[in-house]
Amino acid sequence: MTAVIECQGLTKHYRRVTALAGLDLTVEAGMVFGFLGPNGAGKTTTLRILLGLVTPTSGRARLNGRPVPDPAGLAGVGAMIEEPAFYPWLTGRANLAVLARSGPAGASIGRALAQAGLAELADRKVKGYSQGMRQRLGLAVAMMRQPSLLLLDEPANGLDPAGMAEFRALLRSLADGGTTVFLSSHLLAEVEQVCDQIAVIQSGRLVSQGPARAAARVRVLVAPAERDAAVAALARWAARADGADGVLTDTADGRAVNQALGQAGIWAQQILLERPALEAAFLSLTGETHAAAGR
Amino acid sequence: MRLLGAELRKLARPLSWGVAGAAALFCVLLAVGGAHNAALAAHTPPGHQPTCPELRLTGARCGRAMTAERARLRQFTAQPAQVAGQLGPLAAGAEAAGLMASLPGALALALLAGAHIGGEWSGRTLKNVLTQRGRRWQVLAAKLASLWLAGAALIAVCWAALAIAGPVLIRLDHLPAAHQTAAQALGLAAAQAGRALLVLAVFAAMGLLAAVLTRGTIGTTAATAGTLICLLILATLPGVARWTPATWVQAWMRFPAGQASVTTLPSNFWSRFISATGQPSHLAGLAGLATLLAACVLAAMVVFGRSDVSG
Repeated sequence: MTAVIECQGLTKHYRRVTALAGLDLTVEAGMVFGFLGPNGAGKTTTLRILLGLVTPTSGRARLNGRPVPDPAGLAGVGAMIEEPAFYPWLTGRANLAVLARSGPAGASIGRALAQAGLAELADRKVKGYSQGMRQRLGLAVAMMRQPSLLLLDEPANGLDPAGMAEFRALLRSLADGGTTVFLSSHLLAEVEQVCDQIAVIQSGRLVSQGPARAAARVRVLVAPAERDAAVAALARWAARADGADGVLTDTADGRAVNQALGQAGIWAQQILLERPALEAAFLSLTGETHAAAGR
Repeated sequence: MRLLGAELRKLARPLSWGVAGAAALFCVLLAVGGAHNAALAAHTPPGHQPTCPELRLTGARCGRAMTAERARLRQFTAQPAQVAGQLGPLAAGAEAAGLMASLPGALALALLAGAHIGGEWSGRTLKNVLTQRGRRWQVLAAKLASLWLAGAALIAVCWAALAIAGPVLIRLDHLPAAHQTAAQALGLAAAQAGRALLVLAVFAAMGLLAAVLTRGTIGTTAATAGTLICLLILATLPGVARWTPATWVQAWMRFPAGQASVTTLPSNFWSRFISATGQPSHLAGLAGLATLLAACVLAAMVVFGRSDVSG
């Protein structure tokens, strides 16, 4: 696999504020990669550095194998950073035409508008667009050169439920067609559904990187008096007590767990296969509480 | 050229049409006033020329006073024909170029620079442009060129407005025929318009630098207009006037010195602020403006090349 994004020790200070504090990150080609972090973690700063909009204080970054900010590295890259902004006195189509002329030839405006679901509204002036329509136009800008790498910052903001479903399908179809998608988002459910890999950053550092869907695990409910014996019987799967009558294991093999309990003379009340939600993992990694996340 | 085309497309906006309309209206209103005053002068007797005994002057002092008085009378009687000459369809190009290469044009370009360049920061659209191209100097060059072309278009608009309104005003105010051939009028207009293009490039470059420094619409307009007005004020100070960009514009454009009155049709809105004495030569004006243009562009490129685009 080829790395399309590489960051090594990337730091960025804005006067007294540290936005990035030695970020190391590698993204391989051909996947949908989720980039998660709480507000102010450094996600947008990372994207801006990759796109050459912001100069890092130290560290190195490479985009498509070329050092940032080499403009040649931007060839084949489509991007949407934060809330997309356009020229309000122009139509959506004219905005795309202006941006197409601002870069190399080869943009396909009609196809990008159709992909973003904006073909019928493209001849209206942008000043009359809703936030969701602006978001779709931002996606069209990012996709108009048929990029091999898409960098998207909170792209689903303002989309209605149908729009989000379309957006998920679009990202999957792009990935299936070989496009690498780097998706920065705080919508954990969206990321979980669409991404292959995720990275979590906090305070400008990478705290976790791995598959988007956590491994399934087996939870066993036993009589409280037998809980400790069950933990011992399932020790080979890193079993640990979880509540008065619960035991958690790091395996998805319910049959093997049941068999081990039977051999120890313990009869389970329930054996459950469960998959921890990304939100729980995210909150655990970033040290945030549910209450804080809901603010 | 693709990028320049994109920048020109962005300039096709309501504000640009408004500025062009206001510039045309300003030129026409100025011509209406100038033609009317010239018509009044044509029908007013020049008045009694005082004698030396009446002035209680003798010798050389009397001679100088008489010479000045004769010049005033000549100017007074020639005023209607001169205004008619300025308002001819061809010669109006010189009038339009003079106005746009002076304060009205400077303020118009400050406004356009704020919206067209500073507005990329205020509207948070700069990131879109830079992620398409990547090379910042090209973006700045296209911005500068498009703003300069907008200034040139303002000359054309004013010229067209005066070329239409001028003959009508000459007829309505019964001004005498101008004493110049079509070739002379066209030559004068072409020369002034050509010189004005350099001045407009300097105004545009100042707007460009103001934009990369202030990063906003209002800041760019205020900084550009404020700097130009400060330069005009600086030009009134004895000792430093020769070295200010305002006097370089005056020298390069060959604006007649000391236009102190708007009762006749002014060829510019610049020289009335500048002393007639101690002006640099025409070539010194050219050198000064060229240096200022290069310095503004270079400074803008360096600042923009190093700055973070975080909006």
